Amino acid sequence: MIRLQDVSKVYDGGVVAAQGVNLEIAKGEFVFLVGPSGSGKSTIIRLLLREELPTSGNLWVAGKHVNKLPSWKVPLLRRSVGTVFQDFKLLQSKTVYENVAFALEVIGRPRHVIRQQVPQVLRLVGLAAKADRLPRQLSGGEQQRVSIARAFVNRPLILCADEPTGNLDPGTAVGIMRLLDRINRTGTTVVMATHDHAIVDAMRRRVVALDRGAVVRDQSRGAYENVPLLPEDLGEAEPE
Amino acid sequence: MRFQYLLTQTVQGIRRNPLVVASAIVAVLVTLVLVFGSIVVRWSIDQDIGRWDDNVRVIAWLGDVSPDQVYAMQEEIASWPEVDEVVYFSKSQALEEFKELFADQPALIEVVQEDPSVLPDSLRIKPAEAGSYDVIQNRVAVYPGVQQATAAGEEIDALVARSNRMRAFAVGVFVVLGAAALVLIANTIRMAVYARREEIAIMRLVGAGNWFIRIPFLLEGLFEGVAGAALAALIVGLGHKPIVQMLSTVADPDSIVVPVQFLLQQSLLVLAFGAVTGLLGSALGMWGTLRD
Repeated sequence: MIRLQDVSKVYDGGVVAAQGVNLEIAKGEFVFLVGPSGSGKSTIIRLLLREELPTSGNLWVAGKHVNKLPSWKVPLLRRSVGTVFQDFKLLQSKTVYENVAFALEVIGRPRHVIRQQVPQVLRLVGLAAKADRLPRQLSGGEQQRVSIARAFVNRPLILCADEPTGNLDPGTAVGIMRLLDRINRTGTTVVMATHDHAIVDAMRRRVVALDRGAVVRDQSRGAYENVPLLPEDLGEAEPE
Repeated sequence: MRFQYLLTQTVQGIRRNPLVVASAIVAVLVTLVLVFGSIVVRWSIDQDIGRWDDNVRVIAWLGDVSPDQVYAMQEEIASWPEVDEVVYFSKSQALEEFKELFADQPALIEVVQEDPSVLPDSLRIKPAEAGSYDVIQNRVAVYPGVQQATAAGEEIDALVARSNRMRAFAVGVFVVLGAAALVLIANTIRMAVYARREEIAIMRLVGAGNWFIRIPFLLEGLFEGVAGAALAALIVGLGHKPIVQMLSTVADPDSIVVPVQFLLQQSLLVLAFGAVTGLLGSALGMWGTLRD
């Protein structure tokens, strides 16, 4: 489903965000990308979405050779990858329903499909009763559910989440993780960048640890910190 | 669905910032009123020149020559490539014409009638092209038997020069104002893109096609261009008459009527130009801001 082959990314100014990353993620997997800020988690997600092109190496996502993809095909790639961010990125002038429907409207889905799929996904995330609210009338956890609903309404093959619980209190975060787990059980591959120890340790899923752009650990059913392999600069350490 | 969505977006975009949109429309309007206006004015000047063209004559005033000689001269001059036709004008014909031209000045007529030698026989030579009158004039002047050759040269030159100045002026106005209109449209589109930047970011994120994102902005630019052009066509179509008449040199300005067909044809061109300006301005406004 996702394959990175010797992927490196050096930003203008020489910041190395990824170096020689090799990674393979199968369909239906749930993968945590962990590591301190600046370790390259977000860069990997941006590369998967082709918001960035790698400096070298190759990557394939949902059957598409991402770094060779002509720019007019990029929208097709993004339709097969749903995305969720720490800051929700909801349109404040649109209701919950409209925010989710927007994702289908702008890829030209017919109205009857929208009328059917939006309520369905709102039920899935538990917001059917709040469809007519505006984002500012919702709690942070509810807003994140809306953004997950928007990412998932088109049934993408892959869901990428960049620190989805970063702005939420621990209790709310657990609810979000349950939801992502549920989505994963429908067969959707989930890639989640996080530095939330508690969540990673509780879920016991595959963990890919990054440090200074390199993969330092790749472990199925892993924890956030792996004492035998892990140097102490992972964990709580802030960027160098 | 798609079509309706794109149209709704366009209308929303226009409503979001009516003042800015209006300024772009006015810029197109002013540009095209001037362009279209000068096209129409030029048309009427060309009409003037057309009238003159037809009436330009080189007059060879004849000395003492026999009718046979006159006939031979007429034949030979008519065979010059610059010459269209040569007509013999007798003293009495010249007198009649003179009486007609100066009917309101009986004193002048009296003078001429007393001394007919003031108006000798003449050959009226019509040039094949009005501009070549001077060649003919020079050649005829040295012809044996010709006393003097005259032509309304200065007037012709002035008309041609006026027409050329007008053309240069119109081109200058067109370039400067056209550029201004283009930039103003680009500006409105850039503001519209900016106002919708969050929406656009999300559209990108969920995989909206590039053209799906661009089309509402292109339509907005197109609207601005075409609206300005339509207003300009209307204004010139309804209001060109006094200006054309003011600039005309024809004795009876009321006789100048710009044909409706010509106006319609030029209006279509103006509309097409407005549309192109709108689309180009829109593309310019999106330049660099709407990439994937």
